Amino acid sequence: MGSNIKIRFRIVLYLLVIVSIVLMLRLYFLQVMSGELYAELASENISREKTIAAPRGNIYDRNGKLLVKGIPVKAVAVEPLIVSKNEDLMKTLSECLDMSYEDIKQKVEQSNVSYIDRVILKQDIDTATMIYLKENSSKLPGVEVIDLYLREYDFGFLASHLLGYTGEIDEERLQSEKYEKDYEGGDQIGLTGLEEAYESMLKGKKGKIIYEVDPLGRPVNILDETGPISGNDLYLTIDIDLQRVVEEILYQSILEVRQKKIRDTDEYYKVPGGAVVVLDSKNGQVLAMASYPTYNPELFVGGITQTNWDTLNDPENYYPLMNRAVMLSFPPGSSIKMVPAYAGLAEEIISERGRLNCAGAWSGLGKDFIKYCWQRGGHGSLDIRGAIKNSCDIYFYQVGYGLFLKDNNMEELLQKYLRIFGFGSATGIDLPDEDEGLVPDKEWKKDYFKDQPGYDVWFPGDTVNMAIGQGDLLVTPLQMAQAYSILANRGLEYKPYLVKEIRDSEGNLFPDSSREEYQDLNLNEYFIEIIEDGMVQVVSPGGTAAGVFWDFPLNEIQIAGKSGTAEFYGRQDYAWFASYAPVGSPQYVIVAMLEEAGSGGSNVSPMIEKIYRYLFNID
Amino acid sequence: MIKRRKKSLRGFEDLGREKRRVKFDFILFFLVLAISSLGVLVIYSATRETLPGGVSDPRYYLKRQVIWLAAGIIICIAIQFINYRKIQRYWWLVLAMGIFSLAAVLLFGYEVHGSKSWVDLRFTTIQPSEFSKIFMIVALSAIMSKWRGEKVYHVTFKKVAISSLVALIFVVLVLLEPDYGTALIYFIIYIGLLFLSGANFLYLLSILGLTAGGFFLALKAGLIKQYQLDRILVFLKPDVSSSEGAGYNLYQSKLAIGSGGLLGKGLFLGKQTNLSYVPEHHTDFIFSVIGEEVGFVGAILVVLILGVIIWRCFYIASNSSDSFAMLLGSGIGLVILSQVVINIGMTIGIMPIIGIPLPFLSSGGSSLISMFLGIGLVENVYIWKEVRKSHEIAYQEFK
Repeated sequence: MGSNIKIRFRIVLYLLVIVSIVLMLRLYFLQVMSGELYAELASENISREKTIAAPRGNIYDRNGKLLVKGIPVKAVAVEPLIVSKNEDLMKTLSECLDMSYEDIKQKVEQSNVSYIDRVILKQDIDTATMIYLKENSSKLPGVEVIDLYLREYDFGFLASHLLGYTGEIDEERLQSEKYEKDYEGGDQIGLTGLEEAYESMLKGKKGKIIYEVDPLGRPVNILDETGPISGNDLYLTIDIDLQRVVEEILYQSILEVRQKKIRDTDEYYKVPGGAVVVLDSKNGQVLAMASYPTYNPELFVGGITQTNWDTLNDPENYYPLMNRAVMLSFPPGSSIKMVPAYAGLAEEIISERGRLNCAGAWSGLGKDFIKYCWQRGGHGSLDIRGAIKNSCDIYFYQVGYGLFLKDNNMEELLQKYLRIFGFGSATGIDLPDEDEGLVPDKEWKKDYFKDQPGYDVWFPGDTVNMAIGQGDLLVTPLQMAQAYSILANRGLEYKPYLVKEIRDSEGNLFPDSSREEYQDLNLNEYFIEIIEDGMVQVVSPGGTAAGVFWDFPLNEIQIAGKSGTAEFYGRQDYAWFASYAPVGSPQYVIVAMLEEAGSGGSNVSPMIEKIYRYLFNID
Repeated sequence: MIKRRKKSLRGFEDLGREKRRVKFDFILFFLVLAISSLGVLVIYSATRETLPGGVSDPRYYLKRQVIWLAAGIIICIAIQFINYRKIQRYWWLVLAMGIFSLAAVLLFGYEVHGSKSWVDLRFTTIQPSEFSKIFMIVALSAIMSKWRGEKVYHVTFKKVAISSLVALIFVVLVLLEPDYGTALIYFIIYIGLLFLSGANFLYLLSILGLTAGGFFLALKAGLIKQYQLDRILVFLKPDVSSSEGAGYNLYQSKLAIGSGGLLGKGLFLGKQTNLSYVPEHHTDFIFSVIGEEVGFVGAILVVLILGVIIWRCFYIASNSSDSFAMLLGSGIGLVILSQVVINIGMTIGIMPIIGIPLPFLSSGGSSLISMFLGIGLVENVYIWKEVRKSHEIAYQEFK
């Protein structure tokens, strides 16, 4: 063999050594240097994580009656990114779920955004469909059957505004800070009412299942499984029986008032809606809260149809989804007068015995601004008690004017006292979307009328009007109830609330669900007693609501109340009645309001009377 | 050389005893057995849970591989009873067998993954292009070796012309299937043999130049499509993590091997491969299973064993007694070398994705048996060398 060939063999041998070293170096790089990285990538590559829905907590009333419970159902969820590309799959789903192809396409495509990993196509499918889908899962990529907890309402319409409803989380919420962590597409969340306010308590903790999949995404092996933890149960301050009575009374009253014509006209009262709040005056617990018109929360179970949604939001139907006790504010009319009364006494504009004259008209603001009493004939000479009893406007005009004049309205005293009684800010009740109402002042007016020079100044007439609950002052029925509760408690403010206790699924009480007791506003108790005297006379013979309470055993159970009839430009009057009882040791605060229903004294106080009859067991 | 002659002289002194002693390269044989057995285990690990349709026996692939291994060993031993010179004499018969079997594939074969590489023999299927590697090596070695009547061994133009024609026929037949990977191996074998035969560099350069030209023309003429080229060259892209096509295979293979780490996940415990994330994991991508299950240490060991096997082939070839034996042994070494480098390189992302089996390890009877046939020929060269040498020396001494 020639030396030439020997050399060539040697070259091949070197080549062999070199490629072996190259292979080994590459292996060293892949396995030793990047081994951990690849191990991580590999486990991501083959493992999938799936959540298991947690049963949502139940809601009970104060006596342990079950109001809302979670019911497990099976639902079909799809991964939009996979399914939207697969027309055949959507056709198959359309047949098997009995949905139109267009519906499915729309649902999948409108959610075709990267962060939505799951969209529910249909909730509450039957067993046959479920079995079909599960058996054919290999032919249905991106489709899965998941557990969902929907709601069941044992009391139908009752307290629907308080309870709220649940529904599928939307994209906007999924992106928001509050929901981005624990939620995923298809989750059921509380959308309104207590369901929304106590979402974090009710939702429970999802379970997790980590499993391995083959390259087609079929699960082959479970690696880790954590069971879900049920949500906590809410025990409300609401007494569902009282709630039923209150809702029925509200509904009946509205029907009755709608039969009435406005005096001296052929026009009937419209009464589009109304609200009633019943508080336990000793602690701020809401015993009942009714709002009309109302809605059936069952419409939302399994997703509301577009038609139903449109109906619920049609202005013709006066917005049944709004809780008028909390989410809307109205002009209060005379029921606000106890605030200027207290302010007048406290600021020494008036005194207990001091009398003011009512001649039916008042020209304190000048000849061009003559203001009239609702009683055109005038009330004559009145002290504070009489002014409240008769709801004399002219007396309160003068109080308001006095408050305005003091220190040249530097301190805006009337607004100051309104705020002390809780108006103009949320009560902090545990419901979402609470309206703050409006206590107008210089600053507000300047801002509100900034485009209309000349109107942006606070006039003495503004304070004067506000003293009888007119003008731009707006309050919610709940704020009114809270203010009357402050009177009933002689200056102690209890925050109204709806959830008495929170218990976990084993019944253990949540320690932090207790409430701070009350806040002492340091009001003058004697002044309050004076005002209370006046309010007691309102329902007594000669008072504005005397006719309604004529056969109520007031000698046994004394009621302090105040009617209100608020004018609202372009609409019929808003009618109010606010009250508490029994005077001496108050138990209940009841406030009722009817929109566009005329006089509070005659059209709203009957509701209050009926509710007291129920509460005190009077036939 | 002098040293060796002394050794041989000593052998002459004990001629009678030496003739009876079985000469066999046990290192080569046992390494081949060891690596094939590891292959059997790894194939079982990879296929237990992913079986072809209609098969429920998890040991389906295991059993087949064991049978082929046994067949390979028998052929490897049986071939020792024929002196390689006899094979050299009938090289045209071997050549005919190679060409005939490749032609038969084109006529009677059936397609798998778009290549018509398989023939169904009723009791089993075979892939003639695997066996033809060996047939071609035998034929080329015979053509390029010292011809009868030649005084000195020299690679003439005539030899180059004939051998290149023969190689071209083989390459074209395989390209027609089409099986580009095997065609590439054929080409490498021929170039390697030409190199080791001691042929003039001018011949080598012209063959390479002609091939490059042919390739360029084929590309121009559209015989080779750009996407095919892209697929093959996907490994050149720095961050191959694409989830589709050849890039997917490579990504999954790198995940499998990389995640094996230093010591591996343990035999039978490779998830990437057992769950079929790596495609063709028991055939072309068997090294991914090795990398994942036995880790860096095991993979290095495999590379080393294969390296020693290749080295033994070349060693025996370079120490053989004639040019045919030298070329034959080299050819076998070249087959194993090229396939090992391309296959392992492919699974770790430094070689193009070309579908060729890893010698001794990939599942598949044709590959395994032809490899054992090749090793048998190398052993044959080893065994019959000593005997002939002794005779020669004895004859010379006698004169």
